[in-house]
Amino acid sequence: MTSARLDVDRDRLGKDLVTLVLTVVELLRQLMERQAIRRVEQGDLHDGQIEEIGTTLMMLDQRMTELCEQHGIRPEDLNLDLGPLGTLLPND
Amino acid sequence: MTQRASGPADRATYVFAVARTLDPAVVADLDGMTAGEPVRLLPLGSLVGVVQSVPAHDFTDDAWQQRLSDPQDLERCARSHNEVVSASAAHGPAVPLPLATLYLSDARARQALEAEADRFHAVLKRIAHHAEWGVKVYSPPASPPAGAHRPAAAADRGRPAPGAGLAYLERKRGLQLRREQHHEQGLRIAEEVDAALAKLATAARRLRPHSHRPSDTQGSQVLNATYLVAEQRSHEFAELTRALRGRTGASIEISGPWVPYSFVSEV
Repeated sequence: MTSARLDVDRDRLGKDLVTLVLTVVELLRQLMERQAIRRVEQGDLHDGQIEEIGTTLMMLDQRMTELCEQHGIRPEDLNLDLGPLGTLLPND
Repeated sequence: MTQRASGPADRATYVFAVARTLDPAVVADLDGMTAGEPVRLLPLGSLVGVVQSVPAHDFTDDAWQQRLSDPQDLERCARSHNEVVSASAAHGPAVPLPLATLYLSDARARQALEAEADRFHAVLKRIAHHAEWGVKVYSPPASPPAGAHRPAAAADRGRPAPGAGLAYLERKRGLQLRREQHHEQGLRIAEEVDAALAKLATAARRLRPHSHRPSDTQGSQVLNATYLVAEQRSHEFAELTRALRGRTGASIEISGPWVPYSFVSEV
């Protein structure tokens, strides 16, 4: 990469940063969700706890969707291609 | 750099392929990497090289670095290279050399290539009457889940209905299970296709699947492999891919015949 080809666009930079932050948040949210599902499967949570965790995760999911809409980011933008490792988030 | 001083008028020798014997007329009319210089044969003892004199400054490491960030120029180079390679291999086996194989002069090229004569002979023997076929398998797209990916935010946002959290986790669990099953099914199909095709092929290589395509309508790529297939079995090979397509329900793309680029470096 030569410096002559480096193209800096401030608006783009800002949007890319938002995308990156939301990507990290979404990754953590999905990890928590997986962990919760695993614990439900193991049966070490009672119904009240499951309901509480499920509600929290659901509201986080909704909030995430709203944030994406506000910034004009599509859900599929919240992913990184890690080359040989595949993608950061699973593709549906 | 001092290497510019060598070779008459900054010429370097670009090598496309190596064969046992070749009719010079087969490649004489091709443009090769640079217009105005003939593509010609360079005798290498028991072999011949298909070469062209090119301006050295167009093929330095820096020039290739630049080219890597210019897809159009890179494509032009790759196509020119492949055109000469394909012509060289049209009437008998030829070992394709990698894109950008360059020596300072004919003498240096001869010295380096003759030193590898045994390997070239072994490769030529291996790929004679063979072609390379590329196969890409895409797993069938997952059946769309009942309640799509992200449900629209509930109307009553602040206060989810009782049981909504439980239902949410259950739905997510179902999605996760389906995704895992789909993934496993894709891997099974890949193994089945690869095993069947490899049995018919002389040699097989698996490449890294491309993660995503711009128009991702066909599901994800689960197999990206390439096979060295004897000429008289190429029809059978195509038939088999058709049968596998029907049996697995996967979309299978087949491309070829290619000069066996993928099967010349490992002898």
